[in-house]
Amino acid sequence: MAYVAIADRDHHLHDPQTFVTKYIWSQDHKVIAIQYGSVAILVGLVALGLSLLMRLQIGFPETFSFITPYSYYQFVTMHGMIMVIYLLTALFLGGFGNYLIPLMCGARDMVFPYMNMLSFWVYFLSVIVLIASFFVPGGPTGAGWTLYPPQAIAEGTSGVDWGIVLMLVSLAIFIVAFTMGGLNYVTTVLQARCRGMTLMRMPLSVWGIFIATILGLFAFPALLVAAIMLLLDRAIGTSFFMPALISMGTQTGNDGGSPILFQHLFWFFGHPEVYIVALPAFGIVSDLLATHARKNIFGYRMMVWAIVAIGVLSFVVWAHHMYVSGMNPYFGFFFATTTLIIAVPTAIKVYNWILTLWRGDIHFTLPMLWACGFIFTFVHGGLTGLFLGNVTVDLPLSDTYFVIGHFHMVMGVSPVMVLFGAIYHWFPKMTGKMANETLGKIHFWMTFLGTYAIYLPMHYLGILGMPRRYYAYGNTEVLPESGVIVNQGITIAAIIVAVAQLIFLVNVFYSLKKGKPAEENPWRATTLEWQTPDTPPKHGNWGPKLPVVYRWAYDYSVPGADRDFIPQNEPPREAKA
Amino acid sequence: MMTALLIAMLTGITIWFLVVQRLKTKPWAEHGVIVGSQEGLTSSAPRVGLWVFLGVVTSLFLVFVGAYIMRKDHGHGGGMHAWVPVDDPDVLWLNTAVLVLASVAMQIARNAIARGAVAKAKPTFAMGGLLTVLFLAGQVWAWRQLSATGLYTAETPAYAFFILLTAVHGLHLVGGLFVLARTALRMRELDPGNAVALARADMSIGLCTTYWHFLLVVWIGLFWLLMTT
Repeated sequence: MAYVAIADRDHHLHDPQTFVTKYIWSQDHKVIAIQYGSVAILVGLVALGLSLLMRLQIGFPETFSFITPYSYYQFVTMHGMIMVIYLLTALFLGGFGNYLIPLMCGARDMVFPYMNMLSFWVYFLSVIVLIASFFVPGGPTGAGWTLYPPQAIAEGTSGVDWGIVLMLVSLAIFIVAFTMGGLNYVTTVLQARCRGMTLMRMPLSVWGIFIATILGLFAFPALLVAAIMLLLDRAIGTSFFMPALISMGTQTGNDGGSPILFQHLFWFFGHPEVYIVALPAFGIVSDLLATHARKNIFGYRMMVWAIVAIGVLSFVVWAHHMYVSGMNPYFGFFFATTTLIIAVPTAIKVYNWILTLWRGDIHFTLPMLWACGFIFTFVHGGLTGLFLGNVTVDLPLSDTYFVIGHFHMVMGVSPVMVLFGAIYHWFPKMTGKMANETLGKIHFWMTFLGTYAIYLPMHYLGILGMPRRYYAYGNTEVLPESGVIVNQGITIAAIIVAVAQLIFLVNVFYSLKKGKPAEENPWRATTLEWQTPDTPPKHGNWGPKLPVVYRWAYDYSVPGADRDFIPQNEPPREAKA
Repeated sequence: MMTALLIAMLTGITIWFLVVQRLKTKPWAEHGVIVGSQEGLTSSAPRVGLWVFLGVVTSLFLVFVGAYIMRKDHGHGGGMHAWVPVDDPDVLWLNTAVLVLASVAMQIARNAIARGAVAKAKPTFAMGGLLTVLFLAGQVWAWRQLSATGLYTAETPAYAFFILLTAVHGLHLVGGLFVLARTALRMRELDPGNAVALARADMSIGLCTTYWHFLLVVWIGLFWLLMTT
């Protein structure tokens, strides 16, 4: 069969020979994964720093002279864009997608290794273009991460000369990189699974990444179209999005463009983007919970269906981001309905995670702590989503800190919880060393409690009516004295959480140098990546022979078995009958 | 409108998914049984990769078309800045015919290489490439004709969309031409007796042909849209 020929093909063609081919122009999915992950985390640290600058301004206005309204909006914009696209998307799909898909499916590598390498380097280029915008005249764009025209390209917005152009170009480059990576992930899952690995035997991590990649492949073109057209409006004066405007006292040359069209395009990408980040997190957390509770995942088939259903539904809810933009009331009704329907498969997943824990043999290892933390933050963020999904509730809450609290909880903190859980879980496989438990636990508790200290009060501020995107609030009645104090508290909590992330970095470098050597399968997990002949796996992953899969990924605590887990590649006992 | 296209696309994906899946299996109850790994798909990885890519390109053009229609029907302007359709140059008909011929030439090359008739495949494949270059030149000619009328500026939305859509479609063909040129160069040395090289050429030409047919369909769709609006 054709797929065996590909999966079993000797990869002599790109066997690394030198330092450069092994670590820089590498075509090995594991090296590419670590390259993706490192760059994503690095650029994420920049975004973390920007969020602190924002918080300093909100918590202690009129204190820091270097934070002007001009630069404040740049911080807001770059923080949002970097976190959503260049950190979360890149780390989940480029990082974990690359690392886990071939290992979990029993393949030697991605099906198109050369394109996979290009994917990373093109991503790297997009990051460089993005970061370059900090150093051009006028600085990066301050249009807000949604880049809504007309203000994104109208005079008076920060970075209107260079920043916005670099941002749009960087996004276009990122989409090219993502498409090259995405084609690889999808084709590898479909074509390079080892013998016996049916789709319904794949671990949920792969399912989540697989469906998220498909969402990305279909949703990113909308962002590309929006970026190209906005770039043309900016560069050569077309009027796709730009209406007739009087800017700075003079009439611009534009006329007739539709700013709402941009919003449709942006959110047609933007909403699936939420699930591009969330679905891999859903998948990975399922595997963490099952492994560390020593129990099969509850309702595997339902979990797969829920992932697929969420993926499909995520394409028909985008306009719930636009309730206040003005639309036909029937549209609002339609989008509110679809938005609430999406809660059904999502709730199924949450119940199944909790039922997986029910009477499990729970080990509070580092990955498990983060996975349990995720359930809290996700339920929390998900429930406030139900508020905002209703048009009538959304109208007063729109553009307040309630929204900030909601989406940071659901797509900021929750995926990050899973990311850290996943890093601690697969760290032994990636590096051959165990991560330090004590440092990890300090990191967890500071982050978990700290993020609650940040985002829970924001809901209160939002209900008070504190609007988002304001540089300073002055003596408004909206923000009473208590609100000012809450804002100071949030800022202090944010600084503490940011410092906690340094503990993570220290842990990574310390454990790399001095960590306990990891066994092959320290978590006694069933999935294939733990059954490789070497730890960390060598080039080609499996030695001379590919694994054969005999069972699904969740044979934990099987009655009558010698151990409390049976790896996927362990043959059945013939003698049993 | 966009929603309708979208739902059609999603339905397509779901149906595909149901076809390749056997979602009624109970993986937890099937211990030890080796089930054939490939359940619904038998074509090889590059072919699957191409089809996934064509899905992405479909999505791109559908979004462009959606944007076009929304801008046309719901632009915020009136009077002299209302939507003014572009007077499409007649050369587009000729271009369309040339692109159809390119597709036909590619198909002949594909059929020939499948039979092992390398001598016939080489020139027809190259002919497909040349006709495509001719098509692109024709599109540029159409641009020049439009710009020579002096009626349109960048702010004329129909004109901006005309240039944008034809340019994006043309760029996809240019990308295809790179692959085509690489394949053609490799084929110059092709020995009909070498089964492996022949199979590789067969695959490459097959993939190029699929891509060309796809872009022809896209062009006919765009052409229809541009002509009727």
